[in-house]
Parts: sequence; C-alpha cells; structure tokens
Amino acid sequence: MVTLISARGLVRSFGKERAVDGVDLNVGEGEVHALVGLNGAGKTTLMRLLLGMLDADAGVASVAGEHVARAGTSTWSDVGYLVETPFFYPELTTRENVWTAGILHGVEEEALESSVQRTIDLLELGHWADRRAGGLSLGNRQRLGLGAALIHDPTVLLLDEPANSLDPAGVVLVRDLLRARAARGAAILVSSHHLDQLARVADVITVMHRGRVIGGLDPLETDLEQRFFDLVREAEEQVPLELR
Amino acid sequence: MTRAVRVEWLKFRRSPVVIVATVLMVVLLPAIGLGMFSVASDDVSGPLASKVQGLLIGEGWTAYLGVISQVSAAAVFVGAGVVAAWVFGREHADRTFPSLFALSVSRRSIASAKFVVLASWVTGLAVTVTLAAALAGVVSGVGDSGLGEAKGSLSRLLFVVVATGLLALTAGYVASIGRGYLPAIGVVVVILAIAQISVLFGAGAWFPYAVPGLLAIAGSEAAPSITPIQIAVVPIVVIAVVWLTVDWWRRAEVV
Repeated sequence: MVTLISARGLVRSFGKERAVDGVDLNVGEGEVHALVGLNGAGKTTLMRLLLGMLDADAGVASVAGEHVARAGTSTWSDVGYLVETPFFYPELTTRENVWTAGILHGVEEEALESSVQRTIDLLELGHWADRRAGGLSLGNRQRLGLGAALIHDPTVLLLDEPANSLDPAGVVLVRDLLRARAARGAAILVSSHHLDQLARVADVITVMHRGRVIGGLDPLETDLEQRFFDLVREAEEQVPLELR
Repeated sequence: MTRAVRVEWLKFRRSPVVIVATVLMVVLLPAIGLGMFSVASDDVSGPLASKVQGLLIGEGWTAYLGVISQVSAAAVFVGAGVVAAWVFGREHADRTFPSLFALSVSRRSIASAKFVVLASWVTGLAVTVTLAAALAGVVSGVGDSGLGEAKGSLSRLLFVVVATGLLALTAGYVASIGRGYLPAIGVVVVILAIAQISVLFGAGAWFPYAVPGLLAIAGSEAAPSITPIQIAVVPIVVIAVVWLTVDWWRRAEVV
C-alpha cells in the first residue's frame, strides 16, 4: 500500500507549549485513518502541519510523496481539505463558491462547469445553488466546505470534524462519501469527537493527547469510548503533576 | 496567475464595500468640487465662502478641477485605503485565510492577483472620476472657455487619483500583517494626519504620501516646489509595498 500522508517525528510548539510533540503517522492509499482526542490534543495542529499552514519545528511532513516544505502547486492539486472553517465567501453564491474552489484547486477549464454541478448535486446543495452563501445554515456551509474539498477529486483528503453542524442525513452522506473515496484509492485523514461515527468509517483509529500519539483503537472493538478514556487516563498519569 | 485574478475579480466585484466606496467617490468628488466652486464664485460673503476661496487656484476650469484634485488627494486615500484593507484583511476577518493554503494556485499568485485587481480598479476609478468631473463641469457651465482649456487640469486630476489610490495600497500590507482590516484603516488615518502635519511644517515633499496633495495645489503661492526625485519616490513606495505584501503572503502561517 502506497503511503500518501506521512508524519515523521513532527514537532510544533507555540511558546513553551508543544502542540504536536514527535508525531509519527502514515495513511495509505485507500485507507481512512481517524484521529481522536480531547480538545487541544493537537489534531488540528497536526493537520495544519500536513497542509503547510504551519512550519514544523522538527520532523518531516509529506503528502502525495512530496515533503510539505517543498511541495509545489502540482502536489497540492491532489489534496483536498476541510480544516476548521469551511471554504466560504458570504458575498458569493453557493455555485460561485464551488466554482472558486474548483479554479483554485486546478480543475481543468473544460471540466469546470460539469465539476461544479456534480459537486452541488453530490452535496445536495441544488436548492441553494444560486443564493448568496451568507444566507446558508451552518450545516449547509459545512456541506459547501466539503464540496470545496472534493471538487477536484483529490487522492489525499484531510478533514477536521467533517460532520460538524450536519444533520443526521448529512452525517450519513459524509460517511458514504468517505467510504466511496477510499474505495477509489484516496488516503483520508479525518478527525472527530464522535467515536461511534468513526467506528463506522475508519480502518485505523489513532488517539492523540497533549500533542502525542498515545495509542490506537480497533474500530471493531466494543465500548470504544471506555477504551479511549482508559488510554487518555493512562497517558495523563504519566504527565508530571506540575504540568497537568 | 490568471486563475487567481479571475477569483479575486469575482470577489472584488461582488463586495458591498467596493461598490459603496466606488459610487461615493465617483458621485461625491465632482459634487463637492462643484459645490465649493459655486460657493466661492457666486459673490457669497461669509466665513465659509472666504475659506473656500482660499482653496481655489486660478479661475474657471483650473479652479474647479484643482479643488477636486485637492479633495481627491485625501478622500481617495481613505476610500481606496478602505477597499485595499478589505481586500486583504477580509481573508483574516472572515477566516478564509486557511482556505488559501495547499492549493494549485500559490499564495504569492493570490496576493499578486489582489494587487492586479486593485491597481486596475484605481485606474478605472481615476478615469471615471475625471470624466464625471468633466461632465459635471460642462453641464454646470464651469468657466467661459471650452473643455479644451482644461486638458492640463484634467490630466493633473487623473494623476492625483491614480497616485493617491496606488499609495493607499499600503493598507493592504498593514491588513496582511495585522491580520484584519481594522489595523489598516487605523494606519490610513494616521498616514493622512502625518501627511497634513508634514505639509504644515514644510517637509511634505519628502513624505511620499503627501506628494499627490502637493501636486494638486501646484501653482499656488502656498505650494512648495516638488523635485522629480520626490515624485519618483512615490512609485518606489508603491513597488516596495507590493513586494513586502506578496513576500508576507508567501511566508505566512495560519495562526
């Protein structure tokens, strides 16, 4: 299996705080790799490092076989992401937002219009396609953000809490989308707080705490939540009292 | 960079900030000029009339277009400064900045495209303001002579608006490093104040942001002479601002 997302000893600090502390992680072709952790565990910072939004203090981040520090626009054209805030310009219509994402992600000119329509249909945004995005509900903004991440059919996907604000139908839609993309060979790194959702979609679950990888969970094991908290508690007990 | 320009142009023309600023400048600048010219020319007495008369240089078209040039040197700096602050600062204020990473269009291209769109808009604004001022002058019967006499004053107005608008792009740099449009709008006001003070103390010609305003009053007794070197500093400042901003965008992180 070809590794498409990789972190090797990745470190990033903010002041004295190590937000990501020596993380090693691989995501292969056709794999859905889930990141779980409490708030502030370092999941978002790790994704930002993998997307070149932050420079690493140490270690190497790679996507699509290229070191992130050296990655050019051709490497990024294989990458889609939704990290924190969805791609969203309120003054543009939903369709114009998706078009803009397509342009910036390098969709070929002749395929642009059909890709925009396909993405709008895929995310079930047709009803709002020609309305200003500023009037969209939070859930539909999230769908728009997912559309912007997927319009160019990327082989590498990084999604931070993709089911945020979505209704139950949206959650199922995201799950099906992830499985379908993985079946076509995409490497997907996804974070979520919802262990039950991750268990239904992930091949591998990695647990982060205080910037470190502290273990993994088997998506098929019962009582994932209990196992998750056991791992976090064990990790916390190793932390010196003055740092807790 | 063509793709980045297409995206930036779409965002730019959809922006309420841009639309309001453009309409205000195109409508108000000739209107203010016409109003001040009328007050000063209609044998009205009183403190307002004498104050306005002090701003008029020459007669007819020269006086009318001169007063618009003077007002433009301040108003366009604020108007174009707000627009430039919005174009760069909105990516931070609306939290769209992280969406401009990891794309098949580089951030350097995106920042450059913002300047291409802004510079094109400033040029279009200058042409429109100049034509609107000429039209308003013809309709109102400014001066006894025809518009042919006003060629020099129209060229000066065009130059003042272009130079002022391009200098106002400084707000784009401040909005980038300040990660929002409010710091940039603050800096626009401060620069405007420093320009006024520098002129007051006779050092305006050496402060590039005061040069368009001084060119607007060139020919009057109060105007200091401006050397070609002092004028040449204006494009150098604009180029430096563009370079610094594009470089910041190339190196910036998401915080």
